[in-house]
Amino acid sequence: MTILEVQCVEKIYTTRFGGNHVQALSNVSFTVEHGEYVAIMGESGSGKTTLLNILAALDKPTKGDIILEGKPLSTIKEKEMTSFRRDNLGFVFQDFNLLDTFSLKDNIFLPLVLSGKKAQTMERRLQPIAEKLGIKQLLNKYPYEVSGGQKQRAAVARALITNPKLILADEPTGALDSRSSDSLLKVFNDINQEGQTIIMVTHSTKAASHAGRVLFIKDGEVFHQIYRGNSSNDEMYQKISDTLTLLLTTGGDRNE
Amino acid sequence: MNSMFYAHLAVQGMRKNGKIYLPYILTSVGIVMMYYIVSYLTYSKSLYNMTGGRDMQMILSWGTGVIAVFSFIFLLYTNSFVMRRRKKEFGLYNILGMGKKNIASILIWETLITFSSSIIAGLGLGILLSKLSELCTAKMLGENISLGFTIEKQAIINSILLFGAVFLLILLNSLRQIHTSKPIELLHSDKSGEKPPKAKWFLAFIGLIILGIAYYISCTIRDPMSALLMFFVAVIMVIVATYILFTVGSVTLCKMLQKNKRYYYKTEHFVSISSMSYRMKRNGASLASICILSTMVLVMISSTLCLYIGKEDSIHNRYPREIAMETYSIDEQYTNAVKGVSEKIVENHNLNIDNLLYYNCLPVAGTLGGSIMKIENTGDYSKLTQLYVFTIDEYNRLMNKNETLENDEIIMYTNKSDYMYHEFTIDGFQSLKIKEQVDEFNKDIVNDSSALSVPVVFIFVSDVEQLNKIYDFQLKQYGDNASLFKNYYGFNLNCEDNEETAIFDEIRYEISNLQSKDENFPSVKTDSVIYNRESFYSMFGGIFFLGILLSVVFIFAAVLIMYYKQITEGYEDADKFEIMQKVGMTKQEIKKSINSQVLTVFFAPLITAGIHTGFAFPILLKLLRLFGLCNTSLLIGITAGSFAVFAIFYVLVYKITSISYYKIVSKQ
Ligand SMILES: Nc1ncnc2c1ncn2[C@@H]1O[C@H](COP(=O)(O)OP(=O)(O)OP(=O)(O)O)[C@@H](O)[C@H]1O
Ligand SMILES: [Mg+2]
Repeated sequence: MTILEVQCVEKIYTTRFGGNHVQALSNVSFTVEHGEYVAIMGESGSGKTTLLNILAALDKPTKGDIILEGKPLSTIKEKEMTSFRRDNLGFVFQDFNLLDTFSLKDNIFLPLVLSGKKAQTMERRLQPIAEKLGIKQLLNKYPYEVSGGQKQRAAVARALITNPKLILADEPTGALDSRSSDSLLKVFNDINQEGQTIIMVTHSTKAASHAGRVLFIKDGEVFHQIYRGNSSNDEMYQKISDTLTLLLTTGGDRNE
Repeated sequence: MNSMFYAHLAVQGMRKNGKIYLPYILTSVGIVMMYYIVSYLTYSKSLYNMTGGRDMQMILSWGTGVIAVFSFIFLLYTNSFVMRRRKKEFGLYNILGMGKKNIASILIWETLITFSSSIIAGLGLGILLSKLSELCTAKMLGENISLGFTIEKQAIINSILLFGAVFLLILLNSLRQIHTSKPIELLHSDKSGEKPPKAKWFLAFIGLIILGIAYYISCTIRDPMSALLMFFVAVIMVIVATYILFTVGSVTLCKMLQKNKRYYYKTEHFVSISSMSYRMKRNGASLASICILSTMVLVMISSTLCLYIGKEDSIHNRYPREIAMETYSIDEQYTNAVKGVSEKIVENHNLNIDNLLYYNCLPVAGTLGGSIMKIENTGDYSKLTQLYVFTIDEYNRLMNKNETLENDEIIMYTNKSDYMYHEFTIDGFQSLKIKEQVDEFNKDIVNDSSALSVPVVFIFVSDVEQLNKIYDFQLKQYGDNASLFKNYYGFNLNCEDNEETAIFDEIRYEISNLQSKDENFPSVKTDSVIYNRESFYSMFGGIFFLGILLSVVFIFAAVLIMYYKQITEGYEDADKFEIMQKVGMTKQEIKKSINSQVLTVFFAPLITAGIHTGFAFPILLKLLRLFGLCNTSLLIGITAGSFAVFAIFYVLVYKITSISYYKIVSKQ
């Protein structure tokens, strides 16, 4: 069953004074099935964050539409959208977006508070996630008191705590050392096994090799995709690096 | 060239932070203007030449002192908001390789620009409005003035010197902050939350004790003179206590609410409580300042307005009759002469003596401890008491009674409510039995005497012989400083003011004639309400005027604090609410949570100001007694009225500033 359908999405940014136009996405189409684990790769500035923002309805496409569980996002009202996003989507931001005024714990609780959950329920849900992400000792600290990687893990915990159907993660391992990124990827694998859908933007081949499918974006378009099929993580790793090399060379070709 | 570069950076920085800088500059313009106007009035020649103008100038020169001190504190305070926002920028410059010296030159430029623009605009506005304020004062003094336009050089020089010094100090303070902090601290100065103060229970306890003592002083003070002394002590104690309690209180409240999981983890409360505790100290200080300024405004407006409205009352208490002669003797030979002169002159004018009041008495000062009055100078001024001795015949005549007394008996009337003895002993003279302590005596006499700032005791003795004995006794005790008998003869007239002053002048002339003919003739004090009214008006008018001026300054300050609070918090919260929206908070929920923040804290200062004013009430009442005003219901009415008007104003300002908060937060 399809959870997400991206139809010919185009995004053009107009700079503040209307002078310059930046084409971040030109024509992106793909679908994601329930329970899939998709990684998106591409050069810096190729439009990955833009795409993810549009998927989460944080931004509107200039053209095209997103169909989430059979419902075009363009038809959902602003007010319904927020609660929909809260209940169905978990978003890990590239720049964390943690609030300085809240302790990590309260930052993680934020979406649950917004949907009116009880304090005990929140505590109960927090414990296993904090344990898995290794931030149990840090819960009472404030964002300016912890490291970048610790912030990133807190941001991941905030996205996971609502048990969303779809998780959108923008470089969730970007600030992590290999051990913590391993444990984070394990968490992602586990929840994916439990049936949650994950779309993850990443620069790391290793992270991408955990996914069931990898999409490559270049110049605002889906350039290529590879499926895992029955291959192991290592084989997947190999496929991805091959594609990346290819991507680079053809990129070089095009630039000529 | 180089310095122009820094000037350019300074201008750019100020422009970019216009929302913060503009009110700061406007504040200093306003304060300079106020200072110039008040200082202008104290130097103004035309005011000096008005009747009562000199009293007024004296009161106003006191006001310039208050404004000077206040402007320093307040500008320093508003500047701290500005600095808080600028620090991040400076930190960035610092990291990108700009030395602290260069940052200092930017700061110097900024201060120069702020200083010169506020001096130029402030003095300009001040000069424009000074004539208007002169007209207002003249109106209060009941005079007309010519419509010339004058500038007081001295006032201009004073303003420039004062504000030059104020801005220099502010600059030094900012330089110190830049100098002592590390670049990374500058960069993150708006990120880190405030640490709660240590030992807060102890602090809270101290705060409560100080406040309790201040309230106690206000409630228990007996006589106006010590009220005057203790008033300022109490004011300072209340200010200190308010700062402590608001700071500790807001911290404790936040912690308590955060602990209460059910309450804290609710959409409406979650955001507001966390941001409150994030900036709890600043919050506490702002709220305390708002509270103190509000209290000052309320106290000043209600007491000075009360004086101004009650001035006729006060004149009447001080001068129960329009024309009055006090002859310092009870020898009928002289008292009848004074009486005869007055009656004859009034008759010559074809008028009748109205509302006549006359009496003989002996005023004696002493110290009263328990039931024992010492007629000697003990140096213990806290027990100083004024004794008035009348004969029982005078009492009977004045009160329409028919009492008789034995030789060692008296009837007593006193405003000291705690006199509960059955006898009254004049130390070294005689112990007198109190036959009755009455609770009423002639109101005019009592009011006149209570204008004195000490407790008063009236005793009515058996006969003239007893009166003379007391007179002789105090003569022996005090010698040259002994009191004289007093004969009061006062009346009203039903005629125009100028005829009344003419009659008064004639009486005065005739009496001095009598005195020059007979060298034993006692001295006579003559009083006319019309002559005294002017100086009363100018004094009360001056006090009221100053009250209004200072209230305007303080209200202005309170409004600015509210504005700054909302604006700076708006900027801090804007990013936060953006993230909230990303995580799934709707616009309505944002609005709701803003409202929750408001209800929890914003009205605390108003309520506390109300309580402070309520407790200030007893001491104010005593202070007003110094001016001969004892109209309790007038003061209650005016205080309640001012509070109501002020509360409406407060809510309005709140609404307006919170709109600008919402605008910033929602990035409209
Ligand atoms: N708000 C914006 N206004 C204008 N242009 C933007 C805006 N956000 C992104 N862009 C531009 O759109 C393009 C795509 O940006 P995007 O953030 O999606 O890249 P990305 O693939 O996430 O890069 P990275 O891997 O570095 O995060 C870039 O060229 C960027 O400069
Ligand atoms: Mg990105």
